[in-house]
Amino acid sequence: MGLLSKKDTKLILDPLADNNPITIQVLGICSALAITAELKASIVMAISVLFVLGVGNVVISLMRNIIPSKIRIIVQLVVVAALVIIVDQVLKAFAYELSKTLSVFVGLIITNCIIMGRFEAFALGNGPWRSFLDGVGNAAGYGVILIIVGFFRELLGSGTLLGFKVLGDPIEKTGIYAIGYENNGFMLLSPMALIVVGIIIWVQRSKNKALIEDH
Amino acid sequence: MEHIELFFKSIFIDNMVFATFLGMCSYLAVSKKVSTAVGLGAAVIFVLAITVPLNWLLDQYLLQPGALVWLGEDYASYDLSFLSFIMFIATIATMVQLVEIVVEKFSPSLYNSLGIFLPLIAVNCAILGGSLFMQSREIPTLGLATVYGIGSGIGWFLAILAIAAIREKIRYSNVPPALRGLGITFITTGLMAIGFMSFGGMLTGGDDAGKKEDKTVVVEEQKEESVEVASVTTKSEEEKELSNTIKVNE
Amino acid sequence: MSNRTESNGYTILFAIGMVVVVGSLLAFAASALKPNIDENKRLEKQQNILYAMGVNENDESSANFVSTEDAPQLFEKYITKQLVIQGDKVTEDDQAYLIDVKKEQANAKAGLERRLPLFIGEKDGKTYYIAPIRGKGLWDAIWAYVAMDENMVVQGAYFDHKGETPGLGANIKQRFFMDDFIGEHLKSNGAFKGIDVAKGNADPKNEDKTDNEVDAIAGATITGNGVSAMIKSDLKLYVPYFENLKNN
Repeated sequence: MGLLSKKDTKLILDPLADNNPITIQVLGICSALAITAELKASIVMAISVLFVLGVGNVVISLMRNIIPSKIRIIVQLVVVAALVIIVDQVLKAFAYELSKTLSVFVGLIITNCIIMGRFEAFALGNGPWRSFLDGVGNAAGYGVILIIVGFFRELLGSGTLLGFKVLGDPIEKTGIYAIGYENNGFMLLSPMALIVVGIIIWVQRSKNKALIEDH
Repeated sequence: MEHIELFFKSIFIDNMVFATFLGMCSYLAVSKKVSTAVGLGAAVIFVLAITVPLNWLLDQYLLQPGALVWLGEDYASYDLSFLSFIMFIATIATMVQLVEIVVEKFSPSLYNSLGIFLPLIAVNCAILGGSLFMQSREIPTLGLATVYGIGSGIGWFLAILAIAAIREKIRYSNVPPALRGLGITFITTGLMAIGFMSFGGMLTGGDDAGKKEDKTVVVEEQKEESVEVASVTTKSEEEKELSNTIKVNE
Repeated sequence: MSNRTESNGYTILFAIGMVVVVGSLLAFAASALKPNIDENKRLEKQQNILYAMGVNENDESSANFVSTEDAPQLFEKYITKQLVIQGDKVTEDDQAYLIDVKKEQANAKAGLERRLPLFIGEKDGKTYYIAPIRGKGLWDAIWAYVAMDENMVVQGAYFDHKGETPGLGANIKQRFFMDDFIGEHLKSNGAFKGIDVAKGNADPKNEDKTDNEVDAIAGATITGNGVSAMIKSDLKLYVPYFENLKNN
């Protein structure tokens, strides 16, 4: 059976679809809206959250038996904030260029409720290895939605993907711009991220009827 | 006058939910019924009204570069601003748990209607967002910070009240099954946010916001001119490689 | 959870222990790394100033600084003078680039006289006057280094930000935005006017350099307003210096 038992695999795969943090658990929405205007930022954010959630879940899980329940929220927040700040400082000292790219995300990661949500719901009651898998799975499920939204917003909003002009040149009128296509600048505004996520939910629930809410 | 302006600005123009998209998680999760929405909204106003001024004091007398000067000239060179995140969060979490304990003790009935929302607030990014905005916008006085906290709280309250009312109505409409619940809420919020953009010009002369939509396309074209740059943000090694790849592809 | 972890005494002890551990970890990280961080920031300032006066490694589309290794030598080579302007007094100070604009703005608000750094660079027989400016975007601080000639015509600019929205406001540090400023006049009919980041101006290709306008980034209204505002308020302070320059 190797490294992952069937149960462990489920921990990773479930959040990718049927228990997705964004579309089902409604966690981590703010950042999904703030940074998805371009694909590259979405990918960077997805990777950062993967790291923080994976490590944070393990740390909280190791501490789960000594945390007094009265102050557990403070403890959780402090652990994640300290983790992120130290990583940020180390990057600033040794990889300044990288830290500048990431600095925008530092605040967003700390306040990302997906992190608190998983600490509270999973890491407090499970061992470190399972918590790690849960963290990775949820971060991946979150990342997938981020990347899908980022893909559509950048493609339809700017006509590019990761900065490449995939739809032709709007000034020279090449590619599909030649037949009168215009970029939809509206896609770059944050409200469109909400609507794109709404449509993703629509598609997902049409495929899996079990997820449909009865009002 | 300054206070009134900031008050309305933080409610309508810089609305936490519709302009900066903060506090979305609890906004979406706890807006099924108007009564619960009111409870959570009131709790958010309360906590924002306490934590923003409190964090303003912390920022002013502890965290800012040179803030420790009141301890003596020797301390003027200290810069503790790297601690702001953790201090703000600690204040918020402490306040939330304190409020929870006090309410539970003195008003069990209020605790029962409000209680379950209080822990939720600690993770509501609108609360931390309020403190961070207060810091980055350099709000000058304690009075203004309090007004800002209350105003942002009311803005959030307004938003969750509106969506809860809409969701109660939608229950009687024939929404496609797969969109029911969360899906339609996302889309409604998106449309509401577009509507809220109209407040953008309220204090700046009005002209700007009206222009916005039809000009987007013009601006868009301009942007495309140098579209290769669009995602090649900084100058790190990977990005040099990336731009090389672009050239190769061309 | 066991009862042991629920007692008040334990909770308080735990809280104190955590504050000590986390506090010392953070303090250690901050103080141990501070020299490195400060050095990186210093080099970045030099790179930014050099970038504004056109000493950079730009290729066709992306903005690239000179490398951190070369920055100090190049800074020495191209920046001939660093001035601090305070009221009518102009003094030379070779550490002027380390002046914290944020602090000076705060001082000005507190009624103290603000120190204005100005860097004078020479390249290919041309003189550049480079001024640092600072303002507020949508989320947090934005700042810039603007290189001008003696008539306050922009010769180059480097914009940066702390946390603007990626893909929208963050694009102020992209070439397509920064390059628009090159050649723009800050004055109009002899008086200081600034440069507006204008939505839907009549000149989207930016051919008219005397209209005191550049084109805005779609979806980044507030960041753009912040850029206009900081140019207007901060560069205006340098006008007396340029007037003097002309009169002498």
